[in-house]
Amino acid sequence: MSVIAPKFKFSEFVKSILDNLFWFLLIFALIGLPLVQIILFYIEMPVIDGELLTPFLALTWLADPSRTLPILKSFMATDLFRIAAFPGFGFAALLAAGTIFVERKMLAKLQLRVGPFYCGKIEGILQLMGDGLKLISKEIIIPAKADKPIFWAAPVIFVGAAAAFIALIPVAPGWVVADVDVGLLAVFAVIGFFPIITILSAWSANSKFPFIGGIRALHQMVSFEIPLILSLLGVVILTGTLNLSEIAASQSNFPWIVFLPVGAIVFFITILAELERIPFDLPEAESEIVAGWLTELSGMMYGLVQLGTYLKLYAFAALFVVLFLGGWNGPMIWPPFPEEIITKGIEAGPITITIPGLPLFSQETLNGIVWFVIKTVGVIFFILLPRGVFPRIRIDMLLSLGWYKLIGLAFVNIFIALGLLYAGVLGPGGML
Amino acid sequence: MADAVFLALSVITIGSAIAALELRSLIYGSIALMGTLGGIAGFFLLLDSPFVAMFQLAVYVGSIAVLILFTVMLVKRELIFKKVEDKRRKFAGIALMLVFMVGLGAVIMDSGIKSITTDEPAVDFRDIGADFLTYYWPALILMALILAGSVTGALVLARREDVENEQRTN
Repeated sequence: MSVIAPKFKFSEFVKSILDNLFWFLLIFALIGLPLVQIILFYIEMPVIDGELLTPFLALTWLADPSRTLPILKSFMATDLFRIAAFPGFGFAALLAAGTIFVERKMLAKLQLRVGPFYCGKIEGILQLMGDGLKLISKEIIIPAKADKPIFWAAPVIFVGAAAAFIALIPVAPGWVVADVDVGLLAVFAVIGFFPIITILSAWSANSKFPFIGGIRALHQMVSFEIPLILSLLGVVILTGTLNLSEIAASQSNFPWIVFLPVGAIVFFITILAELERIPFDLPEAESEIVAGWLTELSGMMYGLVQLGTYLKLYAFAALFVVLFLGGWNGPMIWPPFPEEIITKGIEAGPITITIPGLPLFSQETLNGIVWFVIKTVGVIFFILLPRGVFPRIRIDMLLSLGWYKLIGLAFVNIFIALGLLYAGVLGPGGML
Repeated sequence: MADAVFLALSVITIGSAIAALELRSLIYGSIALMGTLGGIAGFFLLLDSPFVAMFQLAVYVGSIAVLILFTVMLVKRELIFKKVEDKRRKFAGIALMLVFMVGLGAVIMDSGIKSITTDEPAVDFRDIGADFLTYYWPALILMALILAGSVTGALVLARREDVENEQRTN
């Protein structure tokens, strides 16, 4: 009989727990509580309903569910919520996690396999969590002759650049982390960082396969950035603005893909190349060069790069939606918020709960989020689909596609946009 | 706030410029050069011209630095650089730089830059575009011709007359 812990005694187990509890309480009382007091002294607390939110008041309100909502609402108005939770990192990471699972499952179905199946009883929905735990618990191995500072920094900077990309995407009217006036140019600036991070990570590993993959990634990303930028200029010409929120708002009647299908197709192909997805996955070609520029990354460093890749995928799909598919615009499908909850309260059996401060989001915002998510998920599906269908193409075909065909098509798109503008059909002061 | 940011950007820009010159490793030198160019983009942001700042990032950090990195990685540096190290040259260079900086600073300080009002709204890129199409149109045409010429040149240079293999089809 195999025993995991042969000298296990229940009394010692309880004792160890009590010991830990004792030390935790002691350290918390001696260091934690004064630290909290000192920090609270410097933080400016918000004023809610004419009352300054002292820690005592906050604890009182948190204990009373009907009074928690104002705290939640004031938190939702902060920048921290925008960056960490809703239009920013948390929302994107949730969609990215869903993308990973859907990709594995869908790819398996396309190839007549079952895919993730055992982890989590129902169709393996806990597989992602299991993979994450595995990656976190694995040892991080660094090659002996690697350039350590760059090797350590590259995955973190990769995720940081992806998060900066996400911060520029408007999800619903007014819900964007950084509403900059030159949003599209900021997107180009952020995209320009990815090849640098890739090549530095590949070089710093001091190994053959990563370097070959990194050089391929550099070739591919640099040459596809040009058609990417050119294919978006048509939208800028027709809207007369670089602000992504204004571009999305300008498509309330029709999306730009109706008038600029060539630009949309070119942009979609360049998305596939920038994301290193099949048929353009030469930098990670797993049947030729192990895992390309990811070969030497292990443990959570690999996990971070994967997270960054899927965040980037979400961001590119969302950019496609914002520029060509109308962003959050769509018919109103979200039901209006029932008025009697505000006036009378919720009646649950014998008791009535009145909750002030509802609704948290307006009807337009929720409708916008729903349409945005539906469109983004659709675009992500079309980005995933070629992986089950196409083979990998050669690098010379890739480069000739980028330099000859896509740039030419992007110019065709620009001339279509200019023609529509000068004919007076679209654009500032146009007929439509 | 703006003063603190200005000081921090100055330290980053000048520090990484010195690092770019002095570091023995070429890769770290080009990373430091990226820091310098990024710091200059930060200065443009402070000067209320986000348009120029974003172009600085996209073109200089995103493209020029990549080209430098690419070249450095693919070339053996012993073959292209001959080390000429000399204490006297170094100090002479630093002294020359200081004299130049002091002279430039004196000229700038004398030019009435102190009377410029700040807190103006950000420069609108539409104004830049309108200026380009009205007053500065010869410059725009010239730039367009140069850019078109260089793109065409790049395409011609990248084109290669390979031996066509029958079995390889594009």
